[in-house]
Amino acid sequence: MMGQSEKLQKIAAEALEQGQVTMVLGWCKKDFWWQAPVAFITDPASAARLVWDPFTVYNPVKYLLDNHHCHEKIGVFVKGCDSRAVNRLLQDRRLEREKVVLFGVPCDGKTDAAKIKAAFPGRKISAVSRVDEKLLVDTDSGTETLPAAGYLLDKCQTCRHPNPVVYDVLAWEKVEPRPGVDDARFVRVAAVEQKELEERYAYWLRQFDRCLRCFACRNVCAACNCRTCIFDQAEPRWIGKASDLADTLNYQIIRAFHVAGRCFECGECERVCPADIPLQELNRKLIKDINEYFGEYEAGLDPNDKPPLGTYRGEDPAGFDES
Amino acid sequence: MKKIAKTKLVELWRQLASETGLYLPIASDGVVNFARWQEGAEVDLEALNTLLPAKKFFFPQTETVLKYSFSDDLVLEDCAGKAGEALCLFGARPCEVASFSMLDRVFLGEPVDEAYRRRRELTTVIALGCNDPDETCFCGSFDIDPGKAPGADVLATDTGDELVLVAQSAKGEELLSLLNGVLEEATSGDENKVKDAQEKAKAKLPPAPPAGGLMEKLDGMFEDSYWDLLYQRCIACGTCTYICPTCHCFDIQEYPTGSRGERIRCWDSCMYADFTQMAGGHNPRPTQKERVRQRFMHKLNYFPRQHGEYACVGCGRCVRKCPVNLDILEVIKDLGGAV
Repeated sequence: MMGQSEKLQKIAAEALEQGQVTMVLGWCKKDFWWQAPVAFITDPASAARLVWDPFTVYNPVKYLLDNHHCHEKIGVFVKGCDSRAVNRLLQDRRLEREKVVLFGVPCDGKTDAAKIKAAFPGRKISAVSRVDEKLLVDTDSGTETLPAAGYLLDKCQTCRHPNPVVYDVLAWEKVEPRPGVDDARFVRVAAVEQKELEERYAYWLRQFDRCLRCFACRNVCAACNCRTCIFDQAEPRWIGKASDLADTLNYQIIRAFHVAGRCFECGECERVCPADIPLQELNRKLIKDINEYFGEYEAGLDPNDKPPLGTYRGEDPAGFDES
Repeated sequence: MKKIAKTKLVELWRQLASETGLYLPIASDGVVNFARWQEGAEVDLEALNTLLPAKKFFFPQTETVLKYSFSDDLVLEDCAGKAGEALCLFGARPCEVASFSMLDRVFLGEPVDEAYRRRRELTTVIALGCNDPDETCFCGSFDIDPGKAPGADVLATDTGDELVLVAQSAKGEELLSLLNGVLEEATSGDENKVKDAQEKAKAKLPPAPPAGGLMEKLDGMFEDSYWDLLYQRCIACGTCTYICPTCHCFDIQEYPTGSRGERIRCWDSCMYADFTQMAGGHNPRPTQKERVRQRFMHKLNYFPRQHGEYACVGCGRCVRKCPVNLDILEVIKDLGGAV
């Protein structure tokens, strides 16, 4: 039977051989077991580098912005979350649908490398593979088996759309969302909401005080796709270059509000943050508020829908207090 | 040579903190950074690398170098000449300590950077040898010994239940003499334990790719197609440069308010488009390809050509933190040859 990696390799190689696309974006392995960065494949022979493993979490879709001008058509492998990034770019008119061929990959959830490391303190791990709902961890003292569900990334534990919502080809059969995802979705938000105002403020100051201003959260985000971000403007300069907490808060609050109604919960911002700032708590708080004020909405499901914060409706809650 | 039981370290820190500002790897919300010690601080001496490198003590992310005001006269206040406070940096890893000598070449070469010089001289460094290097550590590529830190004032080694402290400079001797009340004399048995720990650490270090010859090889690679492929996945964030113990580029900004103002110096990153943006609109590094190339050429070619050593200490921070796994270890392996 053909393995999952081989299936992706075959799809990519055929699309390149037949001239359907001139570049394919998928995932490859590097030096360490927990790495699976995006690979840029342009010749069929290199398609053999592609993999599907517990760590293929990186969202390849944002790279389309850098590359779609130089290619007639690009093939891109998309998990459920990645596919919503495509809709986001379509909705923002940053991408044309006919420029991409979407290879949908139904996803049974990606593994959190930090949780695996924590499970084997002091032991060296050489490889982690997934067989159905089991993880096989090769360590320096033998292979161990773990239940995959217990070691998922937080974003995968709450994923409502494991299957691509837009695709041209599917790599394999669709999967069922995990049971209980709806209950888990806002658990972390609720934990922050429960803090008293002062404690909550202190909590966020502590988190943002670690911000390095590296802008990885913005750069990785497919909802952050402005041609020139205001934070990159020199004139006028909206935040100072000095690492000042007030300016950091300014950046972080604007980032969060700018993706409100546009964040499709891929969690890449939180994954890439070198300082481990819990950005998904902010993003999800805004999603929760939008649901409450404007009705249930999920970004990136339909490129033709009307995002709640980009649309005015008569029944919207009053935006301005005239009392 | 002195020693102290690990269970008594709080007494050592209390004593040190009464003499000088004491900074250690301290966990807050699960993230370990060098921070000022206070009672109850969650000190983590197991963490291999702090999030931010210790360079921040000599070269802060943001510092005011000058204050000015003007009414009838222009009044200038030289802040750089007053920079720093006496402090002790406890728990810097050998790779980190090795980075200090590289920064010294930049900031203490002519013309001397006064703020840096003051901070560097006011700091006493107690290094902590590594017992269990991570899979991402490659200090061996640069002949750094994970158990030794020749540039530190004191070297601490974890021998199991105790820390053994060896003074390596006059400043280190002086510091240890202040701590006589809490330290015990170490024995020749302890000396053997230290050697043993150092050898074990070295043996545990993953095989390091050789860096020798990289500088010469890169001489002819400025226009090489290697960079065309390497940069593709870079998302142009500043993570690698900010967490790197040897990156030292900065920007100068003015913060004017009315008739007063401050001139600040802050970390900058060659990964950013505006790093080389000229006033007239021209940018000599127009795409991420030139920026990525610059970073690796600086570390592995320009810096060693100018200063005689590679500007990398193999701490592995970029390996662990790059959002897209584009790190210097990859470049060393690609160009320097396999392990």
